[in-house]
Amino acid sequence: MNKMTDIDQKKCHPMVGVPIEKLRPKQVRKNLELTLWESLYIFEIIRGMYITTRHFVLNMIGFVFKPKGQKRRIFTVYYPEEKVTIPAAYRGRPVLVTWKNGKEKCVACGLCEKICPANAIMIVAEERDGSDRYPSAYTLDMSRCVYCGYCEEVCPKEAIVMSAEYQGLAERDRSKMIYSKEQLLRSEESVKDRIEYIRRIYSKCSY
Amino acid sequence: MSDITKDFNTEHMVINMGPSHPVTHGTVKFLTTLDGETIVDLKVDIGYLHRGFEKMCENGTWQQVIPYTDRLNYVSPLINNVGYALAVEKLIGIDVPERCKYIRVIASELSRICDHLTNIAAGGLELGAFSAFLYFVEARDIIWDLIEMLCGARVTANYVRIGGLKNDLPDNFKEKTLEVFKKVRSLWADVDKLLTKNRIFIDRVKDIAAMPPDEAIAYGFTGPCLRSCGVPYDVRKAQPYLVYDRMDFEIPIGETGDNFDRYLVRMEEITQSLSIVEQAFDQIPPGPINVDMPQYRWQSKDDVYNRIDSLIFHFKTVIEGIKPPPGEIYSAVEGANGELGFYLVSDGSGKPYKIKVRPPCFALTAAMPRMMKGRFIADIVPTFDMINMIGGECDR
Amino acid sequence: MLADMIESIAKILFIFGMNIGFFAPVLGWVERKQSAVMQDRIGANRADIFGFTVIGLFHSIADAIKVLTKEDFIPTGANKFFHTAAPFISLVPAIVTFCVIPFGGRYTLFGHDVNLVISDLDVGLLFIFAFSSLATYGAVLGGWSSNNNWSLIGGLRASAQMLSYEVAMGLTIIGVLMVYGSLKLTEIGVMQENFFRWGIFMQPLGFVLFLTCAIAENKRAPFDVPEAESEIVAGYFTEYSGMKFVMFWMGEFLEIVTISGIVTTLFFGAWHLPFITDQMLLSFFQFAGSNGASILAMLVNIATFFIKVIFFIWMQMTIRWTLPRFRYDQVMKLCWKMILPLSLINIFITGLVFLR
Repeated sequence: MNKMTDIDQKKCHPMVGVPIEKLRPKQVRKNLELTLWESLYIFEIIRGMYITTRHFVLNMIGFVFKPKGQKRRIFTVYYPEEKVTIPAAYRGRPVLVTWKNGKEKCVACGLCEKICPANAIMIVAEERDGSDRYPSAYTLDMSRCVYCGYCEEVCPKEAIVMSAEYQGLAERDRSKMIYSKEQLLRSEESVKDRIEYIRRIYSKCSY
Repeated sequence: MSDITKDFNTEHMVINMGPSHPVTHGTVKFLTTLDGETIVDLKVDIGYLHRGFEKMCENGTWQQVIPYTDRLNYVSPLINNVGYALAVEKLIGIDVPERCKYIRVIASELSRICDHLTNIAAGGLELGAFSAFLYFVEARDIIWDLIEMLCGARVTANYVRIGGLKNDLPDNFKEKTLEVFKKVRSLWADVDKLLTKNRIFIDRVKDIAAMPPDEAIAYGFTGPCLRSCGVPYDVRKAQPYLVYDRMDFEIPIGETGDNFDRYLVRMEEITQSLSIVEQAFDQIPPGPINVDMPQYRWQSKDDVYNRIDSLIFHFKTVIEGIKPPPGEIYSAVEGANGELGFYLVSDGSGKPYKIKVRPPCFALTAAMPRMMKGRFIADIVPTFDMINMIGGECDR
Repeated sequence: MLADMIESIAKILFIFGMNIGFFAPVLGWVERKQSAVMQDRIGANRADIFGFTVIGLFHSIADAIKVLTKEDFIPTGANKFFHTAAPFISLVPAIVTFCVIPFGGRYTLFGHDVNLVISDLDVGLLFIFAFSSLATYGAVLGGWSSNNNWSLIGGLRASAQMLSYEVAMGLTIIGVLMVYGSLKLTEIGVMQENFFRWGIFMQPLGFVLFLTCAIAENKRAPFDVPEAESEIVAGYFTEYSGMKFVMFWMGEFLEIVTISGIVTTLFFGAWHLPFITDQMLLSFFQFAGSNGASILAMLVNIATFFIKVIFFIWMQMTIRWTLPRFRYDQVMKLCWKMILPLSLINIFITGLVFLR
């Protein structure tokens, strides 16, 4: 009860129930009436044309005099000829990392299979020489994969990482998008940057 | 005149706007009954994008829901991430580190800017101002570059974790952001000049679909659409979460609640959000970004690689999921369209018992018939854009 | 007699070549590229022949091949005859109107009098109005015969809008007629030899109103309510595809050229350069002999005319990509409540000043 009167004394907003000085409303609609100048259409049209023409002229100049560090002022990238620069955080196609001898790092623990929100991963575990666990089949259904990166985040062996590959992810046939283990294997060297990146972001310093 | 109307027997024309129609970004159908150009009756038919989000969540662990939330409001995925993570943290009762809170504020505000930019851009496009659309899409694109730097994907962010974040801010993130903001501000000024004072645009949006505040509240309006009616309700101010109480910003409010007010409120909110991000960069402290609670946040890779007890516990939390105490909770954040609420029920197991989302645009879409009756068919265009129905969020 | 025929054929070939061979495909390219650069994009540039793209110019050829090989689609329940006739009805007036617009003056070549206009009608302006109002039928019939609700709405909007602006456009031009006292476009052109007698100085208000009406008559943005793609899908040509669609599209582009030609002729000194009279031009080229001087002066005048035309095309395209669209009732309000009274006021003031 006491609390209620407190709020009342502070002059709450009637509909929100929070003191107005805390809300700090700002009226954005100041000029309801257009001036005669603005209501004549033509001058505002000329101003709008000035803006678009300015963009046009600057962009045309940008084709000739290239701005520093760019090919043109327009930020479009001619895709197949030019490639976008991908940030280190980029999550591309998930791939399986191999040791130097070509054997996969994966021990078929099944964590990625479990955490995958799209159920895209299927692992069949087997033992090699009676001691080494390895996936005899590792199927990744790329038509289900949502590139969330959870498999990489939970993997205790750095065996699956999100590579920077972003080309050739789409197929005309869905059955071609089911990748087998052999199609996913990549050498440790080729995904070195990513492994360093995940070591850094998931390291102890963040906790 | 009356003789003509008596003899001249005209029928109303029933016409389907949608589900695949240029105005229906997101898939929705308007069953409109037209008398010439005037709308006599309008029925909104939603559900075309229903994916069973809430049911899907019950089949995954608590962490597995986060990628699903990206697909709710796909224009501002980070806010959904933050909203869900905050709800689960409230259910568990943990408090994330300071730095994490600031980064979450930065991420949400970047997303909010993207959402408003997209919305106004789409509004311009649908009204025929194609240049304004592309200027704002360019601004959104360079902000998406930032988001990509931050979380590795442009739309499907999957950035926020329960009890922390996926990763810290990348190097030089502040400098790059401020550089991008300079460009965003200049594009904002261009679009402001192209649209705000342009009489053609004003004629199209002013006094269309006005809502009185009491009626707007009765319909369940939140967010920019409610603020445009003059009600300064913003979850960030009314029930401050994260560190919004330390930020210096104002709530832009309109007067009549028409489309022009909605547009102005959003334009103003873009600048407010830009300044919030800059303030957050100034105030952000160093430190950890995750809670050091292995039972709720997956452990660091150092521990998993090197310590057998940590490894075993890692397996346990991944496979069984984190286990919040039994109970139920409602937690809301200020989404780009309004109050984005998550109602969670936990039965103490690793999987959510129930997750209910309160999508802001559901209530807004419900008011379409009220706003549109007696208007022209062309008025559907700015109105439906300005209420900003996002199919992924509305239909779930 | 033979010389007359050669002259006529040459002029017809020139204008048709210019319109259909040059302006129609190039404007498609210009609209793509100009809008792209204006909006910080690059625009279509992928169609290539042996690896050469010529900054996207080959897209016009690719488009032509595409539309010619496309299925000619007539929806069920459509009126076949009118559905087929509508694109022709909207294309032909756009081509025909250019034949009364002079693109150069009168020259004496080898003792033969050359007048650079295909048909020097005494009622040139009325001819233009008569034919441009025929284009209304194309839109209306196309909308009605498609058996589609969106098309019907588009066709109704088109008929109302074009009829209203027809009236307003006629009134805006009366000021010009009062100033120059002629309906003959060549005479109006000759009278603008003096820079300060250009129509833009005599009739500034008339120019603005006429340009507005002309754009509205052509259904270009911001007056493109009959085809407003976000409201009524594509308006009256929702159900058109292939060559028939392109005929609507070409009709629109040629109309832009025609409007620019009329605006140049009426308000911007036709083929004259500012401050330079025909006599000065001839004496400047005196070194080439009398025939050579005539030819050079003719070429300069034609170039001047088409540069002005291109400038106005450019302006219309900039307007199209800058402004949002009106609402249907606002278009009508603008016509009947703003342009019509203003044009009447314009006539009144012109009358006071010139017919004292």
